[in-house]
Amino acid sequence: MLTFVISEALSNLRRGGRVAVSAVLLITLSLAALGAFWVLSLNLGRAVGEWRDRLRIVVYLREEPPPAALGEFLQTVEAVGGVQRLRYVSKAEALRTLRQQLGGQASPVEQLPTNPLPPSVEITPSPEASTPEGTRALIQRLSALAEVEEVQGGTEWVEWLAQLQGLLQVIGLAVGAVLALAAILTVTTATTLVLHARREEMEIMRLVGASEMVIRLPLFLQGLAQGLVGAAVAVGGLGLAYRFALPTLEPLLAVTLGLPRAAFFSPAEIALLLSGGAVLGAVGGLMAKGGRAA
Amino acid sequence: MIQLSGVSKEYRVGPVKVTALADVSFGIEKGEFTVLAGPSGSGKTTLLRLLYRDEMPTEGEIRVAGYDVTRLRRSKIPQLRRAIGVVFQDAKLLPGRTVYENVAFVLRVLGAPRREMTARVMQVLKAVGLSARAQALPAQLSLGEQQRAALARALVKEPALLLADEPTGNLDEAIAEEILDLLKEIWSRGTTILLATHRATLADQLKRRTLVLHRGRLLKDED
Ligand SMILES: Nc1ncnc2c1ncn2[C@@H]1O[C@H](COP(=O)(O)OP(=O)(O)OP(=O)(O)O)[C@@H](O)[C@H]1O
Ligand SMILES: [Mg+2]
Repeated sequence: MLTFVISEALSNLRRGGRVAVSAVLLITLSLAALGAFWVLSLNLGRAVGEWRDRLRIVVYLREEPPPAALGEFLQTVEAVGGVQRLRYVSKAEALRTLRQQLGGQASPVEQLPTNPLPPSVEITPSPEASTPEGTRALIQRLSALAEVEEVQGGTEWVEWLAQLQGLLQVIGLAVGAVLALAAILTVTTATTLVLHARREEMEIMRLVGASEMVIRLPLFLQGLAQGLVGAAVAVGGLGLAYRFALPTLEPLLAVTLGLPRAAFFSPAEIALLLSGGAVLGAVGGLMAKGGRAA
Repeated sequence: MIQLSGVSKEYRVGPVKVTALADVSFGIEKGEFTVLAGPSGSGKTTLLRLLYRDEMPTEGEIRVAGYDVTRLRRSKIPQLRRAIGVVFQDAKLLPGRTVYENVAFVLRVLGAPRREMTARVMQVLKAVGLSARAQALPAQLSLGEQQRAALARALVKEPALLLADEPTGNLDEAIAEEILDLLKEIWSRGTTILLATHRATLADQLKRRTLVLHRGRLLKDED
């Protein structure tokens, strides 16, 4: 029985001919489009996450608080709310850091008569305060403190990145959905052609008492196979493109987004794409009408 | 084996109602050879199609081979059809397959074990006298041979009931005679047979119980 069903599905594929091939191609296209947007958005998403993690607000102070009052001052800062962690950076420490950063070129700094760097407090906002609105409010509250000269930091461009990611997801889903619909319809057409070519056979099958499962399963499998092949080609193509683009892409990503490595789909995500293709094909196969039901 | 009571069938063609069968009742015992006679358009094919649930009656009760056909669940229809072999005027063989493959097709579709397949197909081909033509394609067969192949296909699943709708309609006298002899032989091995024909002479010549349909009504039921 199983060998019958499988050999039937295979010969259905052969009979589907050019339409079956275009069905596979359309599935490939729809999943490749979906997948390409997905990979992009995946990497953007990682960048957004990373930048959100690194989000710091730096509060520059007019002058160094006296050591005795430092603890109390930091408590005032913390009391504005939305502060997860904070670290005081004295003028001296700021200068040390600058020297380290400059390395061999530090000599001009050595020659400064006085330390020009202001003391500051580095603040990591709490998760609630990490949203664009939360950060803006936090910055406002910090600016209101008398000791504060200037507050730096913000999430504008990270948010812009997040919006871009959202946009990419929407575009990817929309393009993917349209192509997926076309793919389903093409599989349906291919299957209907097969049904037409096979109507004598299906008539005999029904006449002699074949179960509906035996009659329908080959169509289902045929659609499924088309979907799987389409999805595999799509994932393979994306994988190749990714390989080739990687050497030029990674430095670019590192500079622009600060991502050391680009990411591709995880095995689970590849499995998801493959099953997506299988579902597209199977639905197309099942939707075909033609063989008269008993 | 077959029990009809008060069976009517109306076809609706647009606004027009065609009464194909009207209040038909009869019974056929297991092991009988019955002829269903009547002029063209009298409802013979319709009656046979009701028996294997290709159509539903508009009214009445039908029992076939232990199945309550009118109340049969959709999913049980295949079971009913496995108990019934059907042959038509045209053999309806699958053109791309050999005689052997046409017959084996049934067993494959019904999931018979592969080991038994060849033996069962060859046995039934022998029974209809087609052993030598097993590897021929339908187009290479004479009409009589095609009808034999169709019979083999209907019989290979060993149905309790064989429905034959005008099986000799395309054949000339001598070949038709051979097919009828073959049917009798099949019947003598225990298969219940219902043979539909519009040829009155053929019904007479068989000397079997004959049901006569006229405009959808059962006229006489005689032995
Ligand atoms: N599917 C259908 N739709 C509408 N009317 C039908 C259908 N099948 C049969 N009929 C009508 O029902 C009546 C009985 O037809 P049926 O085919 O049963 O007769 P028959 O005795 O088999 O005739 P024949 O000897 O020519 O095969 C006819 O009037 C026919 O036109
Ligand atoms: Mg007829």
